[in-house]
Amino acid sequence: MRINPALFSFVILAFPAPSLAHRLDEYLQATTISIEKDRIAVEMRLSPGVAVAPFVLSTIDRNGDGVISAIEEADYVRQLLQDISLTLDGDVLALRLVSKTFARVEDMREGMAEIYLTFFAAVPRQDVTARQLIFENSHQKRIAAYLVNAIVPSDPDIRITAQSRNFQQSSYRLDYSQAGGESQHAWLLALAVLMAVRFGYLWWRRRERRPVSAR
Amino acid sequence: MICLCAAVLLGSSGPSLLAQSPTARIVSAANAFLSTLTEQQRRRVVYAFNDEQQRARWSNFPIGMVPRGGISLKEMSAAQSSAAMALLSAALSKRGFEKVQQIMEGDERNKIAEGSRQDGKGKGGKGGDPGFGKDNYYISMLGQPSETNPWMLQFGGHHLAVNLTISGARGILTPTLTGAQPALYQADGKTVRPLGQESDKAVALLNALDQNQRKQAVLNYRVADLVLGPGADGKTIQPEGLKASNLNEKQQAMLLDLISEWAGIVHETAAAARMAELKADINDTWFAWRGSTNVTEGTNIASYYRIQGPHLVIEYAPQGLGGDPSNHIHTMYRDPTNDYGRKPNSK
Repeated sequence: MRINPALFSFVILAFPAPSLAHRLDEYLQATTISIEKDRIAVEMRLSPGVAVAPFVLSTIDRNGDGVISAIEEADYVRQLLQDISLTLDGDVLALRLVSKTFARVEDMREGMAEIYLTFFAAVPRQDVTARQLIFENSHQKRIAAYLVNAIVPSDPDIRITAQSRNFQQSSYRLDYSQAGGESQHAWLLALAVLMAVRFGYLWWRRRERRPVSAR
Repeated sequence: MICLCAAVLLGSSGPSLLAQSPTARIVSAANAFLSTLTEQQRRRVVYAFNDEQQRARWSNFPIGMVPRGGISLKEMSAAQSSAAMALLSAALSKRGFEKVQQIMEGDERNKIAEGSRQDGKGKGGKGGDPGFGKDNYYISMLGQPSETNPWMLQFGGHHLAVNLTISGARGILTPTLTGAQPALYQADGKTVRPLGQESDKAVALLNALDQNQRKQAVLNYRVADLVLGPGADGKTIQPEGLKASNLNEKQQAMLLDLISEWAGIVHETAAAARMAELKADINDTWFAWRGSTNVTEGTNIASYYRIQGPHLVIEYAPQGLGGDPSNHIHTMYRDPTNDYGRKPNSK
């Protein structure tokens, strides 16, 4: 997403005084990531400060009619998707929008309203137990204040083992372990086959030892 | 004045009120407040206990930006507002009530500052009125005051959201938001810091850590705001920082003392029960800090910190909104397992 420097300078200069209670010259982008075995949910809460809201709004309400239409919402989500990425074990995951809520233009202009977006990404099943997730966000980076956190997994088989971020939280790495994956299934199957072979062998031995008259 | 009236109202009830259980006292004060209202006002104050919209209708923003439910002190007569404050006083500890009043008094200074602006800048909120001032705080209830059935008392406005669920003898104060701007001001010749202890005790704890502990506690990234502020109900984030199992006994006591600044807002009996729960969790509680550790004595920190345990999230987030972050603070107090008293055994 490119920023028009002239417009950006205008909105910053237009609000020189500290404003009581308003987020001012930053675009807060708070992300939470929830991990499940077959799905990752990315929730984003986007709050433009009062000084940058006119600029942010100019990238959403493109025709400037004071109403964010469904087409403008979809366009903005597309812009955002170009600026964020989610990779798992080095593979880029496709993010699918599942819910969106845009505040009214007049509320956003006051620096007090938010945009809520939820994306899902399908997790390809792989024979690994240690996984590494990377989330990157460069959306409106000149004015952004990023937050990113992982939600404690509700699935007891998934355990977060490490988190790391760069200073701005625009890059976030999450390591987690996952039990009950393909490898565990394969191990259980192998055990079952071994036990079946063993019982089959014992049955055969017992049958062979019986006197012929008893057969 | 309101405080004085509240004290008189409480005091006038005599020994019989003092002999009551805390819940009985709160219920009495709630019914006394409701009895001062007109039928129309009462309808505005009392919501159904299962009204999820009203339950979550709280914010750090002034009421001109995020309207609250219930009725405001501004809309009440002197007797009604005294009864409202008496109810709050019965529900909270002495220090908790004082903290609430100091937050409200601080907002009165915002009203004066906003009114003195000649250029009109800084006006906000619907219709241009941000709704600052100590009479712009709202009271509401979910359910009917009861000593046995669960009900909820809400009191809030700019930088304040007290959400107290009362369930029998229990008083569950989560989620509650406290904030302050200004976070340091003069009143009656004294310096007032509504959230000063939250700042001082955190610094003391940080200074009590050894180098290795501090290295674990201090996060290496910027935290711009509350992570679990308004609207973030029902989320439990992965804890970070220093695990309190790595603290010695004295340091753990300091951490608990810091936690008590939030857990102790509610009346003393409920606070004691809550502190016992949090003490039992102490080894699984985390302390994380982001920002400078240089603080001048008697001032507030400009650093973010978070305390997180199995039944607790506390965040202290100075707001870098164009002014001095140490003079504009938002804090959040949650129990991710029992916000709004949702845990089955709380009902």
